[in-house]
Amino acid sequence: MTPILSVQGVGKRFGGLHAVSDVSFDMQHGEIFGVIGPNGAGKTTLFNVVAGYFKPTAGKVSFEGEDISGLPSDEIARRGIARTFQAVYNYSKHTVEENLRRSEVIARRHGPVAYFKNRNLAAVADSRRVADFVGLSSLMNNVAGSLAYGQQKILGIGMAMMVSPKLMLMDEPAAGLNSSEKMVIGRLIRKLRDERGIGILIVEHDMPLVMGLCDRILVINQGKPITTGTPAEIKADARVIDAYLGQDYEFA
Amino acid sequence: MITQIIVNGLLSGLVYVIMALGFTLVFGIMRVVNFAHGEFYMVGAMAVLLFYGYLGWPFFVAVATAGIISALIGLIVERLLLRPLLSEEMPGMIMTLAVAITLQSAALLIVGPSEQGISRPFGGTWTLLDARVPWDRTIVALCALVILAGFYSLLKFTPVGLAMQAVAQDRETASLMGIESKRIYAVAFGISCLLAGLAGALMAPIYPIGPYMGEIVIMKAFVIVILGGLGSVPGAMLGGLLIGLCESAVATLLNPTAALIASFGIVLVIIIFRPTGLMGRAVR
Amino acid sequence: MKSRYVILAVAVLAVVPWILDNRYFFHIATMATIMIPLAISMNLMLKIGQLSLAQGAFMGLGGYGAALLTMRLGVPPMVSLLTGGLIAAVVAAVFGPIFLRIKGTYFVLLTFSFGEIVNLIMQDWISLTGGNSGLYGIPKFSIFGFRLTAISHYYAMGLIFTAISFGVLWAIERSDIGAIFQSLNENEMVTRSLGGNAIAWRIAAFVLSALIAGIAGGFYAFYLGLLTPDAFGMRTLVDLIVMNTIGGPASVIGPMLGAILIVPLPELLREARQYQLLIYGISLGVFLMFFRQGLVGLLRLDKPGDRP
Repeated sequence: MTPILSVQGVGKRFGGLHAVSDVSFDMQHGEIFGVIGPNGAGKTTLFNVVAGYFKPTAGKVSFEGEDISGLPSDEIARRGIARTFQAVYNYSKHTVEENLRRSEVIARRHGPVAYFKNRNLAAVADSRRVADFVGLSSLMNNVAGSLAYGQQKILGIGMAMMVSPKLMLMDEPAAGLNSSEKMVIGRLIRKLRDERGIGILIVEHDMPLVMGLCDRILVINQGKPITTGTPAEIKADARVIDAYLGQDYEFA
Repeated sequence: MITQIIVNGLLSGLVYVIMALGFTLVFGIMRVVNFAHGEFYMVGAMAVLLFYGYLGWPFFVAVATAGIISALIGLIVERLLLRPLLSEEMPGMIMTLAVAITLQSAALLIVGPSEQGISRPFGGTWTLLDARVPWDRTIVALCALVILAGFYSLLKFTPVGLAMQAVAQDRETASLMGIESKRIYAVAFGISCLLAGLAGALMAPIYPIGPYMGEIVIMKAFVIVILGGLGSVPGAMLGGLLIGLCESAVATLLNPTAALIASFGIVLVIIIFRPTGLMGRAVR
Repeated sequence: MKSRYVILAVAVLAVVPWILDNRYFFHIATMATIMIPLAISMNLMLKIGQLSLAQGAFMGLGGYGAALLTMRLGVPPMVSLLTGGLIAAVVAAVFGPIFLRIKGTYFVLLTFSFGEIVNLIMQDWISLTGGNSGLYGIPKFSIFGFRLTAISHYYAMGLIFTAISFGVLWAIERSDIGAIFQSLNENEMVTRSLGGNAIAWRIAAFVLSALIAGIAGGFYAFYLGLLTPDAFGMRTLVDLIVMNTIGGPASVIGPMLGAILIVPLPELLREARQYQLLIYGISLGVFLMFFRQGLVGLLRLDKPGDRP
């Protein structure tokens, strides 16, 4: 079975700094896969390589068997890989409904050629459905910028769904959220996988969330992979504990 | 002949450096392309026309006054018209266009459309190897060197100069260190207009003076600064001399329009492939 | 105020020259039908957040292209008019992928240099273009054998051209394309993360703006009967900037209003040309400072982003 995402020997060098070296892992369809590591471990760089913001200086990234290394971010999105942002990123002056509608328009009619091919859109219906799915239906007419931080993050996920993704890349989805918001996001992520079969790659700092959510986890430190395994395996792995020694983490 | 080409090139090159310096200073510190730069040059020339040409003041006094007037107008423009718009890229730039148009029209109204000349304050030539060097251009070049030296010392050795460098490099860090960007902008713009005005004033006896004289100046400054790197002072110096020499060579040997096309072509290539120019640092 | 009222008012205004039946008015009105599409073409680029100073060059390519095709190769004017526009569009398509990767101030400088190069070539290639002395003797326009001789004919033609270009860009503005452009402007990263092909849209806008400018240039050539390079230089670009600023860049109605206001000025101030520049400079400054949204903002015209 072809993995949905295959990262092979990926390295990224900035001048003399090796932010990421020799990272390899496979992700299966419908898997929730976590990437964790201490601060400065290279998680964000790895994320950006997969998402198309950086070209890897070594190795390659494949999506369903096809090489996507170094493709521009919009091309990657069109292939069915969505991403969310660590900071809140939306069309803040417009309503939730408008944000969702626009996302769909952009995703379906992404370029001048696609625009004229995809004329019929059940646009409004889809925005409603996604809003229902993520739980923002009651806030459709609210201006995006006025929503609570957690709600804006959920909106980000809703917008990303418009790409009809098979794979979603999430950059620290729990960052800046309080514990109840984290629970909501965690439930939503699981719902994305359970009900839509979307594979999810999460880069995160929040241990309890990652341990509770992910099927498998990759631990990296100083740009290099330490190990890959289930949450139980990771918790017990001496090397992982070693890497985090001195850091204030609860493995919960 | 080669000596003549080189001499001519260096003489004009030095003046070009002064012309380009202000332009690059404003971009480096305020991130604004000052479309009115050529008009401040014109203001300097017009002032010399008035004080030296009509009122008979001594030449250097007229030049200094011209520079001060240009600087003062610049300070007023910066404070009233530019500062409110600086947070955004485009409006600031278009405002400089508005200033350029207004200054040009003011000159048109005051002086009329035709060009005028003034008598040369210094005559005669001297010889260097096989080249004839006019005295007036030599004096201009020497003044340019003095101005350059002064500017360089200001930048490297005075608190103001160091502050300007800090703001050019990193506005936020500079403000954390207590440097008020707004005041630095005013200083930078004022110096830029001072330099432009002085350049115009020094060149006033050499070229005809008219309301449209600023247009060719900004073209040259633009090419020099892109070549040297927007915001780079050493780049402006290098670029100015290079352009001066190349122009001199081409003017003696070839067709001037082709040279212009080539310079803009170079600008195009630089912006596409190496926007920081020969010596600039990456613009955020 | 609803935009359609303004458009209606302009349509009514368009009829005035026939009522007055004055050659002078027809001339101003015809010049307006050239400047409005040009201003709109610049506005299209502004919609994607870029100030393009290449519009003059495209106008020139279309103008010289159309004129020379008819004069040297005997191509029927209607065909050469459209071909001139196509030449400009093709040039835009060729350079677009390179140019449009550059943004902001550098893009302005880039298009400025490009415009200068084209202009210098027009000046220097004397055997082709007649250089600065001008290209004379451009024949009168004719469609299917009917020669346009009266000025009112040209005005009618210009009106059709203006109506079409305004109509197309108005439709774009109100459509999903307009929303995509807005999205790109507001937050390019998000838009691209949703699959929005930023560079493709930018190239499309650039090419369309070149096409319109090119046809405007061709029409200009046939109307005036002669072409000089300085018609396509910085002066025209400044006019277009002033029109867009005063009219307001947010909607395509803006440059239309701006053009209607600005075009009569040189004619009205023929005696006092110097004052024209002064008015330009001051109004540009005033609007930039105090009325950033231009007339469109002042009149509070409803914009494409507004939903009922």
